[in-house]
Amino acid sequence: MQDSQRGYDRRTFLKLAGATAAIAACGGATPAASAAPSAAAATSAAAATKAPVSGTLSVYSALNESTNNEFFKAFNAAYPNVKVNVLPLAAAGELQTRIRTEKASPKSDVFIGGSSEFHDPLGKEGLLEQYNSPNAKDIDAKFKDASGYWVGWYTGIFGFISNNDRLSKELGGKKPATWDDLLDPSWKGKLILPDPVKTGGGYIFIATQIFRFNRDEAKAMDYMKRLHANVAQYIPTSPGALTLIDQGQFVGCPNWAHDILTEKGKNNPVDLNVPADTGFEVGAISIIKGTKSLDAAKALVDWSLTKEAGDLNVKLSNRGSTRADVAPAPGSPKLSDVKLVNYDRQWATDNKDRILKLWQTTVGI
Amino acid sequence: MPDIHLRLERVTKRFGETAAVDDVSFDVPRGSFATLLGPSGCGKTTTLRMIAGFYDPDRGDILLGGRRINDLPAHRRGTAMVFQDYALFPHMTVRDNVAYGLRVAGVPTAERERRVNETLEFVGLGKLGERWPNQLSGGQQQRVAVGRALVLRPEILLLDEPLSNLDAKLRVQLRWELRALQQQLGMTFVYVTHDQDEALSLSDWIAVMNAGKVEQAGTPWDIYYHPRTSFLADFVGAVNLVPGTVSELRDGGAVVSFGERSLTVRVPAGLALASGAAVRLCVRPESLVLAARGAPGDGPALPGSVARKAFLGDLMRYWVTVDGREWLVDQPDPGAGTPFDGDVLVRVRPERVHLIAE
Amino acid sequence: MRSLRREPGVLLALLAVVVLVGAFIVYPQVRVILTPGDSYGEFFSGGTWRNSLLHSLEVMALSTASAVTLGFVYAYAMVYSDMRWKPFFRLIGILPLLSPPFVVAASYVILFGPRGLITYNVFGQTISIFGLGGIWGVQTIAFFPFAYQLIADVLSRSDARIEQAARNLGAGSWRVFRTVTLPLSRPGLGAAILTTAIYVLEDFGNPALIGGTFTVLPTQAYGLISGFGDLPGAAAVSTILLALALVLYFAKIRLDGPRSFVTVTGRASSMPRPPVAPAISWACFAACMLLAGIIALVYGSLVVSALTVAFPQNTALTFGNFEYITSGANGTALQNTLVYGLAAALLSSLLALVAGWLVERGRWTGRRALDLLLIMPAAIPGLFFGIGYALAFNEPWLDWLDRGVLIIISMIFWNIPVGYQAAVAGLRQIDRSLDEAATSLGASSLRGFRDVLVPMLGGSLRVGFVTTFVRAVTTLSVVIFLFTPSSTVATIRIFQLVGDLNWGRATAFTVADIGLAIVALGAVALLARGRIALGGARA
Repeated sequence: MQDSQRGYDRRTFLKLAGATAAIAACGGATPAASAAPSAAAATSAAAATKAPVSGTLSVYSALNESTNNEFFKAFNAAYPNVKVNVLPLAAAGELQTRIRTEKASPKSDVFIGGSSEFHDPLGKEGLLEQYNSPNAKDIDAKFKDASGYWVGWYTGIFGFISNNDRLSKELGGKKPATWDDLLDPSWKGKLILPDPVKTGGGYIFIATQIFRFNRDEAKAMDYMKRLHANVAQYIPTSPGALTLIDQGQFVGCPNWAHDILTEKGKNNPVDLNVPADTGFEVGAISIIKGTKSLDAAKALVDWSLTKEAGDLNVKLSNRGSTRADVAPAPGSPKLSDVKLVNYDRQWATDNKDRILKLWQTTVGI
Repeated sequence: MPDIHLRLERVTKRFGETAAVDDVSFDVPRGSFATLLGPSGCGKTTTLRMIAGFYDPDRGDILLGGRRINDLPAHRRGTAMVFQDYALFPHMTVRDNVAYGLRVAGVPTAERERRVNETLEFVGLGKLGERWPNQLSGGQQQRVAVGRALVLRPEILLLDEPLSNLDAKLRVQLRWELRALQQQLGMTFVYVTHDQDEALSLSDWIAVMNAGKVEQAGTPWDIYYHPRTSFLADFVGAVNLVPGTVSELRDGGAVVSFGERSLTVRVPAGLALASGAAVRLCVRPESLVLAARGAPGDGPALPGSVARKAFLGDLMRYWVTVDGREWLVDQPDPGAGTPFDGDVLVRVRPERVHLIAE
Repeated sequence: MRSLRREPGVLLALLAVVVLVGAFIVYPQVRVILTPGDSYGEFFSGGTWRNSLLHSLEVMALSTASAVTLGFVYAYAMVYSDMRWKPFFRLIGILPLLSPPFVVAASYVILFGPRGLITYNVFGQTISIFGLGGIWGVQTIAFFPFAYQLIADVLSRSDARIEQAARNLGAGSWRVFRTVTLPLSRPGLGAAILTTAIYVLEDFGNPALIGGTFTVLPTQAYGLISGFGDLPGAAAVSTILLALALVLYFAKIRLDGPRSFVTVTGRASSMPRPPVAPAISWACFAACMLLAGIIALVYGSLVVSALTVAFPQNTALTFGNFEYITSGANGTALQNTLVYGLAAALLSSLLALVAGWLVERGRWTGRRALDLLLIMPAAIPGLFFGIGYALAFNEPWLDWLDRGVLIIISMIFWNIPVGYQAAVAGLRQIDRSLDEAATSLGASSLRGFRDVLVPMLGGSLRVGFVTTFVRAVTTLSVVIFLFTPSSTVATIRIFQLVGDLNWGRATAFTVADIGLAIVALGAVALLARGRIALGGARA
């Protein structure tokens, strides 16, 4: 996938998005309809050419607890002859390791969820099956693995959560419009950040700063150092940080927009805003090499890339979709509406070790 | 020819550099009460434990009823041991303690109960079957230990200083009970003790050990009256050991001079002596008779003076200085006369004097 | 226990233990250690481990010292003093062991965090619970029960006569304690210190939540996997931890020495312990009450959290959380937890007893090596134990092996160190003359072990059982690589719910997990009372 090497180009995306939107506007429900019939066509085509897809799927899912049940129920509605055994573990790193340790005798068929940074190395290590789903044509090349080992089907935007009560009392209700706003001394001791060493989100935050400063690492590290003065704690899990804001133990934290919305939806006294020049992640799905249920696995990949699946995931987890025709969650900005940095995913993955060590030395941890 | 039940042949056991048991051989006749006597560290307990099978001899053989048992595991030797600190199982009642060996041997319940009850009566614990060890006195605990071993009718009963933790009176009383038991059952006992009174009164046969070796083995009478070394003479009972030299030999006898005096004594069989040889006169205190100076009487008499005396109840012990040397003299039944004081005569009966070569 | 060749039973037992240890402790770990291969050099030259190592050592020293001291005080109070309400304190002494990951640590944050209910709302303080201070506090409370259990077991077997004798000779209570009680409890103390230190070293759950940036080796390893997917790096960290544990182990051997700690001889005594001054009993009571108070607060808040919508922001009462956890897959998880836990506890404690006997009473070469191997699992972070098993037993020819069984096996061996140490400490207190008496009465070594020693080791058995059970039902890291949907356990469910920020349900699950564990332990205690005589502890 050459795009990921060139780096994400927002203008290209906007053009594509615009084009899709135009077509959508013209055709009314057509794109959606054409998506559905194409999916249906695919399945009915499959149905027409061979027996309905059946088999047992062992799925390693990094999706949220609240997403799994509904999601796979819906999949089963589309593929009633496939039995799905889900191993839910909302920790993609652990799942990735598990897949590695099971190399000699894989116990899973599909790895779903978790950012593409976890799927990619597995592909390079030869632990995944190549598959280019027919439905992947609806997905921008940006979100796909050029070698075909994984495909991105959801997105997550990096935003900011704040505790309403304490924000208004202690900071005049001022949400950070840019990341630089967090350097304000009024944030001292009230800010927390997901630990960059232990969490994907934390690392993406650092990488975002680097891309924000146009790859000037020295400037980015300088920012992180000054930010460090305000950070009360680095939290070992991204969701864990949210709870602390819910409880009002601290005032604000950069974190995943979809998770923040979910917290807000639970009537917690918190709010979301998305500062300018932010980063995002792509959630992937891949097929494990050596799977004995290849057809069923492919079916799951196909289905995850449909609008139906995309809409469902948005509804369940407030995440975004890599499909242009899937509306974002209420309260969540569209990817296109957000001022994103030029996020070079490949570069970020390749330089992770070095950047984190650099950060640790800079900040003195 | 006595039936030899237990034989040790040239048994040696080393711990590191030292030989705790050094080339020890002896025979124990069937049905006898055999005792290993000696000071601490002499190797008697180690020997016992080798018979039991808790230690392996480095050299030598142990034969039980003519059969070599070196390679038999301890629990299959047919020996049972009574320990110095009783080693009762604290989580079992008296009855269960006694029944244990029978249970292990798979003896059917009815017979087991019968034998246990029998044994409890035998050792005088009939009513205490349901007690726990920590509810018993020392003497009672020891009886349980004995009963527990006896009920198994072992080939040999091994006893490792079983009475040393009891008070004096109890020790004496239990001593007789043990002896009576042994004679009643006709069982072979091998008994270890450092107490020479016990050894003398209980045993049919004693082996006195010192520094890993058997100094002398024989009947109590033998050991007491015919010790072959000074150590033996001194260890078993009180003794006067008077150094002297052989001035003359005459058929079966020797004239020994000590200081200015001399005495003609019998030479023990098997003792080769040359004129001029250094010897010791072994004189038991009770074989001497005190008399006042100038009292009539015959036989050799040594003039001396009483340095001190001690009233021991059944006898009066005198320390009498003769030629600058203290002699121990025991006089029985002190109440029969008045105690001696000052200058006295010590009458020696030459036939009661034993000769030890240096 | 003389020459092995004369007792085939013992030889067999020894071989069995060696094979089991080799297959289930050594082999999986060898797989883990071999994983990094070449990247060891890379990792070590990278130097990120240095800080973590330093932090780990700091934390270990602090937390072990306080946990063992607290454990000793508690054990003394329970065994020696005439303090009131002992059954209550017995429960409190076990509660911290029952801490499924995350939720309990989270409670500490709710109570004592920057806006903690206690620290802020009651005392008006904004302390930072995060970092070394917080870890120290939480670990002390979390680990003192290990020390308490081991020490209490040893103290209960101490010989009252020796203490009475010391008193008779004019020694005051403190002197008796210092010169008699304390030295005689050295086997237990040594085991307690070693075990606690190793468990503190490999503790992941607490530093993960409360450590903040204060990284220790286990959290670094977790981060390497979770954040980077770096298995070789994480395996390298695990090797460091193993090496540390080895050092601790050898230190302990030097300190122990060959002295005799025999206090249970065949010479029974009905002597009661010298009375403890009432002042001391009251002091014990006060200290234990304070501790109990903190623990009650923490666990009490769990219950509150389970019964509310979103504690502490939203305290509306609800039973929805509990309803949820009894449904469907969750019921299976709770059931599995109980079954796996009990099975592992029973097998582990028995195996530990046999292994302890073979090592402590045996005279065969290689004893030291086996001793080391049986303590090693304590040094291996659960994460690595799990990875080792995943690597080692994932071969195609083992596909038939039920994952549930594999989980049970992993629990047995991961937790064998505590039961084993308790068995060894217990055996060192029992005079060999009791063994010999049994032998002399015709019992083979194995038989003697079963009839005479095992009944007297009830305390050690209990320690092994309780510890294994408790760790089995609260571990996440070991099972995270081994579980499957049908063999899922409560901790996995809690992890998933927490990941979803479903604190209400997660706490309900935690409370149910703890509740079931207490009930199970209580039932076992009742059953065991009738069967296993407690020997010297009867006094």
